Amino acid sequence: MVRKRRRGAMMIGDAWATPMSVGSDNPVRRVGSKVSLARFAHWLFLAPAMSFITVFIFVPVIYVAYLSLLRWNLLSSHPQFVGLHNYMYLLGDSNFHMALRNSALVSGAMVFISLPIGLGLATLANLGLHATKIYRTVLFGPYVIPLVASGLIWSLLFDGQGGLIDKWLGLLGTAQPNWLGTEPYALIAIIVVTIWQYTGYYMLIFLGGLQSVSENLKEAARVDGAGEWCVFYTVTLPSLSPSIFFAVVVCIIQSLQTFDQVYIMTNGGPDGSTATLVYYIYQQGFQMYNIGPATAASVLLLLILAILTYVQFHVSQRWVVEE
Amino acid sequence: MTRRPLATRLIAHFILVVACLAVALPVYWMVISAFEPNADILSTTIHWIPTHFEPGNLSKALHSQPFGRFFFNSFFMSIMIVVCQVITSSLAAYALVFMSIRRKRAWLFAILLAMMVPMQATFIPIYLILSDAHLINTYFGLVLPFAGSAFGIFLLRQGFVGIPKDLIHAARIDGASEWRILTSVVLPNSKPIIVTLVLLNFVFHYNDLFWPLISTNTTNMRVVPVALSYFLSQEAGQTLQWNLLMAADLVTILPVFVLFLAGQRYMVKGIMGSALKG
Repeated sequence: MVRKRRRGAMMIGDAWATPMSVGSDNPVRRVGSKVSLARFAHWLFLAPAMSFITVFIFVPVIYVAYLSLLRWNLLSSHPQFVGLHNYMYLLGDSNFHMALRNSALVSGAMVFISLPIGLGLATLANLGLHATKIYRTVLFGPYVIPLVASGLIWSLLFDGQGGLIDKWLGLLGTAQPNWLGTEPYALIAIIVVTIWQYTGYYMLIFLGGLQSVSENLKEAARVDGAGEWCVFYTVTLPSLSPSIFFAVVVCIIQSLQTFDQVYIMTNGGPDGSTATLVYYIYQQGFQMYNIGPATAASVLLLLILAILTYVQFHVSQRWVVEE
Repeated sequence: MTRRPLATRLIAHFILVVACLAVALPVYWMVISAFEPNADILSTTIHWIPTHFEPGNLSKALHSQPFGRFFFNSFFMSIMIVVCQVITSSLAAYALVFMSIRRKRAWLFAILLAMMVPMQATFIPIYLILSDAHLINTYFGLVLPFAGSAFGIFLLRQGFVGIPKDLIHAARIDGASEWRILTSVVLPNSKPIIVTLVLLNFVFHYNDLFWPLISTNTTNMRVVPVALSYFLSQEAGQTLQWNLLMAADLVTILPVFVLFLAGQRYMVKGIMGSALKG
């Protein structure tokens, strides 16, 4: 007991030195006994964060579901209850189908291109080479650049006149497509930017996972005569599977929110071929003021995210495992 | 750890160097373009080093619009968000880790739920709520939606869990109030995780285009990313002044780049840890 007190005293410093002043600056204590303080203090501590989260997250989620049942143009009409009409509208709206397709393509490209590259780079960055820190810093760098700024840089690189990419293709003598202005190429350009921006981030997630892979297990496999590839497939990859799963879910969630690069580079064009789900919501809601379809699409986006989170939650139970 | 054969190491170095070059090249191209005359950018030959150096591009780009105001807006908004989040998140994380709460799992689950809801899916109701409160196009409108953060609570909770429970008990026996324990025991012992939260948050909100684009509508409330996006549409029609655009781009990136260099080990740790602990 005495030892505990001493340790506390060293760490708390002034709190120990002036124990009497502690109670006086506590408002709750003046009102009631110490029992009531203990019972209600946690509400005071949780209240600020939880009230903001309630007002700006939980209420909007319910509100958005309610709005999706209304026909409401912000400029011209009063809200009118139409049931599931907005969802039926989405079913028949080719722009919405296009947006879903584009979001799926971006997500797929990120999962099947960006994640494997990230995993590969993480494996190399985990070999204990010299200069690993420099590599890690450079590769992670794009993640902190504003997507708007990245979008502008890549707009220049993909530009038909001054763009570096077309200059190179010109040297090679191959065709130079109008990258941001023709159909498959504009979406490819968007995906390239997204890969450039996020691969370093996924590398870090994998690196975090790799560093928790047991070195003993790998050593044991090597002693048993396994080659490096064999060790990677039989020990590292299975140990890494929680990280891989986490990265896949985070990657899809992040890709489904794609907006900035589209807004900057293509404005959703040509012919909506780069409009993503969020871009569709933005266009319906903030350019055409069609609150109904915009919020119905928002609800669908939330549902997709909820399913992904649910799966993530159940596969890795560690999320809420108490200490 | 076994030393790997030379060939393996060389190949690994080679691949990593190529990857780094691929990552750095666009940034390098932006930097040199910012200091070139536009004609050089548009010429068909590739200049790896600018042949005509034009340092005046920077001030030309910055004076074309009230960038001073935009930077003030960006910094003020991001700093206010960070301050609010550190206060609200540390209070909540403290309650979740060190106080006896009934149904703690339910609270954690609520926070987890909040974490998966992106602004991009709820911005319309948030806009309507803030519009009813006449807070659209104000600093309050920019900051309040992010004043409480589920991610912040989660991150700080992970840091607080590592603090020995004995310390807290000792402080309680000494008669310290919960507030006192938070400010003089828990926070001083969690500096790295707080720095991580501050950095990740500042960068995230400084970079954010989406919400400022929606919640502000006058020039004097614009933040830098929104201003940058207008830069492009404003110039459209005539020949794009790529050099001025890249100059503005460079100045935009500079603050986060400096923060990144100064605090990258905290950011790297925060992100690597997120995979380990969920």
